[in-house]
Amino acid sequence: MSVGFQGTLLAQTRTVTGTVTGGDDGLGIPRVNVTVKGTTRGVATDFDGNYSIEVSSSETLVYSFIGYVSQEIAVGNQSTINVVLQPDYAELDEVVVVGYGSQEKKEITSAVASIKPEDFNKGNVSDPTQLLAGKVAGLSITRPGGDPNGGFNIRLRGVSTFGANASPLIVLDGVPGADLANVDPNDIASIDVLKDASAAAIYGARASSGVILITTTKGGSEQGVTNVSVGSFVAVDNLVLNKLKPLSAQEFVARGGTDFGSETDWIEQITRTAVSQATNASVSGSFGGTSYRASVNWRENQGIVRGIGNERLNTRLNLSHSAINDRLRLNINAAVTNRDFTARNSQLFRYAVVYNPTAPVYSSDRLAEVGPFFQRDLFDFYNPEALRQQQLFGGSRKTILTSYRAEFDILDNLTAAVQYNQDRFSELNGSFWSRKDLQLGLGNRGIAERITNTGNVQIVTGTLNYSTEIADGLNMTVLLGGEQQKRSYEGFGARTRQFLFDSNTWNNLGAGAVRLGNNTNVYSYKNEDILNSAFARLNFNYQGTYFLSASVRQESFSGFGENEKTGYFPSVSAGAELTEIADLGPVNQLKLRVSYGITGALPPSADLALGVFENGPRIDLDGDPTTSDDVYISPQQNRNPNKLLKWETRKEFNVGVDFALFDSKITGAVEYYQKNVEDLLFPVTVPVGAPNPFDPGNFNTAGSTWVNLADLSSGGFEFVASYNGIALGPVSWTPSINFTIYDKTTIESLSVEGGIGFDFIRPQGSAPGSPGQNDNPTIENRVGATLGNFWGPRLGGIENGVAFYVGPDGTTRIDPNDNSQYSILGNALPDADFGWNNSFVYGDWDMSFFLRGSFGHQLYNSFRGFYENQDAGSNTWNSVTTDITPEITSAPIFSDQFIEDASFIRLDNMQVGYNVPTNADWIENLRFYVAAQNLFTITNYTGIDPEVRWTDQNQGGIGASLSPGLERRDTYFQTRTFTLGFTVNIK
Amino acid sequence: MSRLNKSLTWFAAIVLLVSACAEPEQEIFNGYTAEELATSDNAALTDVLKASAYQRIIGTWGGHNSLWSIHEVASDEAVIAQKGGDWFDGGLWLRMHRHEYNPQEGAINNGWAYCYTAIGDINLLLQQYPDVAALGAELRVLRALVYLWLIDAWGNVPIVLETDDDPTPPTVSRAEVFNFIESSINDNIGLLTRDNTKTTLNYWSAKMILAKLYLNAEVYTGTARLADANAALNDVINNGPFSLENNYFANFSTNNGGSSENILTLPYDQDNAGGFNLGQMTGHYLTQFTFDLQEQPWNGYASLEEFYNAYEDGDARKNSFLVGPQFSSTGERLEDSSAEDADPDGPPLTFTPEINELEPNSLRQAGARIGKFEFQSGAAQSLSNDFPIFRYGDALLMKAEVEWRLGNPGAALNFVNQVRARAGVDPLSALDADILLAERGREMFAEGWRRSDLIRFGKYGDTWWEKGPSDDFRALFPIPQQQIDANPDLTQNPGY
Repeated sequence: MSVGFQGTLLAQTRTVTGTVTGGDDGLGIPRVNVTVKGTTRGVATDFDGNYSIEVSSSETLVYSFIGYVSQEIAVGNQSTINVVLQPDYAELDEVVVVGYGSQEKKEITSAVASIKPEDFNKGNVSDPTQLLAGKVAGLSITRPGGDPNGGFNIRLRGVSTFGANASPLIVLDGVPGADLANVDPNDIASIDVLKDASAAAIYGARASSGVILITTTKGGSEQGVTNVSVGSFVAVDNLVLNKLKPLSAQEFVARGGTDFGSETDWIEQITRTAVSQATNASVSGSFGGTSYRASVNWRENQGIVRGIGNERLNTRLNLSHSAINDRLRLNINAAVTNRDFTARNSQLFRYAVVYNPTAPVYSSDRLAEVGPFFQRDLFDFYNPEALRQQQLFGGSRKTILTSYRAEFDILDNLTAAVQYNQDRFSELNGSFWSRKDLQLGLGNRGIAERITNTGNVQIVTGTLNYSTEIADGLNMTVLLGGEQQKRSYEGFGARTRQFLFDSNTWNNLGAGAVRLGNNTNVYSYKNEDILNSAFARLNFNYQGTYFLSASVRQESFSGFGENEKTGYFPSVSAGAELTEIADLGPVNQLKLRVSYGITGALPPSADLALGVFENGPRIDLDGDPTTSDDVYISPQQNRNPNKLLKWETRKEFNVGVDFALFDSKITGAVEYYQKNVEDLLFPVTVPVGAPNPFDPGNFNTAGSTWVNLADLSSGGFEFVASYNGIALGPVSWTPSINFTIYDKTTIESLSVEGGIGFDFIRPQGSAPGSPGQNDNPTIENRVGATLGNFWGPRLGGIENGVAFYVGPDGTTRIDPNDNSQYSILGNALPDADFGWNNSFVYGDWDMSFFLRGSFGHQLYNSFRGFYENQDAGSNTWNSVTTDITPEITSAPIFSDQFIEDASFIRLDNMQVGYNVPTNADWIENLRFYVAAQNLFTITNYTGIDPEVRWTDQNQGGIGASLSPGLERRDTYFQTRTFTLGFTVNIK
Repeated sequence: MSRLNKSLTWFAAIVLLVSACAEPEQEIFNGYTAEELATSDNAALTDVLKASAYQRIIGTWGGHNSLWSIHEVASDEAVIAQKGGDWFDGGLWLRMHRHEYNPQEGAINNGWAYCYTAIGDINLLLQQYPDVAALGAELRVLRALVYLWLIDAWGNVPIVLETDDDPTPPTVSRAEVFNFIESSINDNIGLLTRDNTKTTLNYWSAKMILAKLYLNAEVYTGTARLADANAALNDVINNGPFSLENNYFANFSTNNGGSSENILTLPYDQDNAGGFNLGQMTGHYLTQFTFDLQEQPWNGYASLEEFYNAYEDGDARKNSFLVGPQFSSTGERLEDSSAEDADPDGPPLTFTPEINELEPNSLRQAGARIGKFEFQSGAAQSLSNDFPIFRYGDALLMKAEVEWRLGNPGAALNFVNQVRARAGVDPLSALDADILLAERGREMFAEGWRRSDLIRFGKYGDTWWEKGPSDDFRALFPIPQQQIDANPDLTQNPGY
């Protein structure tokens, strides 16, 4: 299109040449965008910073480059324009998104981390939080194993609650609690993490675990310019086995294994090289008072297990309009996502590890019964390939997030805003067990199930912003707001069994003849809760030197006791910029700040305070199964109400220093925090059958009641620093590092004031499991001790192949059944995390690699814990051996034998990119890249993945939070990913 | 304009703040409040709620880790041997067998929790329906039945009434619990039906509670109450509508609802009242194909060789076990392709009464399995057999024991021999404690009374296979530590 009018332009234009150099080092800067203001015309500087462009004398050139302050120069008569770009010590003037607004970074007096796209993790990243893994000090993002359908565990500054929101609150474009499925990583403009309680307190009761604010890319601001961006990649995943290896067929037989005469590598049998791909495109621009951006993202992720994968299509539209001289601003955001997934039995890897390697995959000896698979009727013994093919799981999930916002400047310094959000999802899932599936389907002659769940979260927010200079140099801004959140969830499901055919899987439940009793189900549900909030914040800025901020939020939640619904969450923080007070030489910034805040956490469900009679057993009044007119479901109180249930609170004190040195080449921050979590909501064991003190006249019909029980304390030290653009000859190197040293979570109390209390809690669910280890908790959480201590006997030694065990002193032999002689064997929480990013720029090439690690945490290696000893089970199940396997022939007993230090350093991701120099003026940028994820891990841990386990994947609810550090046998194996992709930006 | 703006702003701000500060109400969409139950006009509700209280004890009794489990494994009639890595479970079942259990045992806590869950439910219903006298009587007797289990297993336990409000009810002595059970029955028995209701408490089952209580009175309180036991048993035997079934196993079949012998049963049903999982608990993995079970059994519970051998050949009751070669439902020999090399029977599945060792490597095929209850073809994990709590056959043996203890061996022999005759074995001509206990063992195998019987006959501390002598204090289970933690007013039983 530009060709059309080039002729007319040429008549008036001439060539301007020049060199662009950096104000910091005087060297030429390559790839600086030199554009003609108000047009789409532009060129980029070459390797040495030289450029040449056709312009007319009335035009203005704009020189822009990331990390430098843009300059505009009117062309006039000049034919040579040399430009010195000053480094953008931008960090200082950067605007950071905080709750219900944004603030200049230099004014911020609490612990906030801001991450831009250039800092994001590289490669096949399909979940927005994955962009941040290792990038923010104190923020731990983990997904042990490599299941593409698995979610991430996010913990900010360790453990802050055991309840439903142990993960930070996600605020997506001002929508608190938004579903992360609504946003594709490609659409994210910035992520801000509110780390301390004072920053998070404006979100009150949902902010106990911190807040992550995600801002999506908005429409363009250049009038009349349409930007198109297209990108695509292909990624290849391969299995990474690390140090854990099942025995080969020969080794298995040599160890006493039953020989079925064949040879099968079961892991290879169920896995593949997975190929994933993604394509995204966006269009953005602006005209009149309207700017827009629309994007579409398509991703197909394959898992390394054959048959596991997902496909996602995400469409997003952002539309902004300003009117009445920009006094009225309207914004509409809409995102629609559809995700289809297929899954397989979650124990597939476990069976692939332990299934007999001498067994053939296929066999025709039991065709009619179990299909064409080799199967034997032993305990916990299922052909992995049969499981993979004969049990199917899958479904689809749709999410729609819409938000509408209007802002109006009533006065120049008084702005009112209203925002309405609706965040909906609906999912329809299916499960299927073939009538030939030995594990479950065979006895039931086939089982099929469908489940649908829907959710709708509506939030209305209104705010008033007022700013004024109340005295000379003293500026004040005031925020007042109110918010209502209503969450509603409903769904239903059904399961039938006994089918003639397998072919309809879960699509024809009506063909299942048995609809009552074992392995059948019909249910529906709905629940709803409401949170009303009012909040206020005051900020003072005195001459850009002294800062003070204070906020308070009042929260009223429907789900607490009648007199306990309302809670108050205040915060205060202050800071001083010392470089404004005195000249500190090379120090450009030195801001001291201190803050204190209180945040809360909602209970895991809204009806804990109420006495609800739920569905009990099916009662046949006359006991005669041939009559059905007298059959009812009895209402039963399965949960003890607590009408005194109230808010749990996190109180956090934070001191920090922000610094910048040497013309802001070096920037960073240091934080120290101490936090106490009080009145944690906790299901506590009560005397079952006794009168319920929390609901007079009622009796405990369940063994536990949710009360405000535990107090925890923890602390930490965080450090981040980066050095912007160290010159290594022609290469510019930007290293940035962050690390966190945790003062691990200590249990201060497990007592209700003046009531029930415990010295310790050993979660029953932390037992290793079947076979044979069902009744021994492995974790002890004791008052005065650290959360997540491993607890059990110590392996004292081996005599004639039989292990013996010792007590806490390490020498006295004990009966491993005698748990009074157990000792603490380790701890599951990390002492420290670190992340180290390195970016290099060399001309049109760039390269980055990112190392991260965690230190000081231990893991229980379940595979070893069950299948390492050469015991009676070794003839049935394959064993795992490592270089630390001792020669034990007795049955495995949970002990420190299986507790391993899991400190690790991982080359998390690495990327090499090439920006293709092009003279085509419609191409702003064309880039190819190759990325690799999980290239290597340095660790002594011999299990699947040394990643920190914050929760136990085999337990729900509070048991999961109280049982960290257990690597379960159904952990999905790790993968290594290579990605090849391109992006192109077109004007 | 500016003035209008300002007033609009203030108005909006006030509206916003007022609605933002309102305390929202919690609505319930699935589930019912106590008020809704109390004001219901559905005539069936009362009966449903009452049946629901029974369901609490139904769900309590017959599964793994239940009260039944700890009674059985602590006695000399059942064992769960450790099969290599399988069934170790932290040593719990070894400790139960060897009488080395401690207050931390999960299964003991489960048993306790089950009992008190039922008590909580009963008290809740009594609170809500105080006016329904007949319902109240039955629920109070049901509560007394639960206390019979508690007094037998733990002895000194708290008594919780529907009128109580102490959230940490204190332990009371076993004698007080005894008096409470006795008065609960005596105060309410007059309101109970004499119909043979079987699955709900009636006059006869209330008498059986008294009979059990009085028979064990010396153990429970130190004072024998044999005459009272005798009176209660006479009433049941002479006036009750019960008689021995010709076929012993008719009392334990899947459709045993019509048994003339069962006095009170827990009406298990695979669809409506689950929790009786004996097929899973005792069957070998391959037993799935003997009975075409829906799920693979767990290969846990077996009987002791000594106990099995206490049956003479020809005793019909010896068929209470699955022993010898095992076949599929279509008659094919079952093969355990992964049988241990040490197993003398090799791969063909054969249950031997002999168990090579308790731990660590009990052979997977070792041990006579509990086959007294019918496993219906195609059964689910939960069986549908009604579990007899009180049975006429038991009443006859209790009567025999009372007569013998009262010094009437002739009368005693008459009752013992009624039971023996039905089993097809010769009548006895003389009785002593050992003979009586052994006969009770053969008749009452796997019905959950063996531990109590051993204690009453002073044999619980004896030595048996893989168990040394145990102290007297072991006759009471420890109060679960978890319960003591939750209720500081509980007192641990002596010795623990």
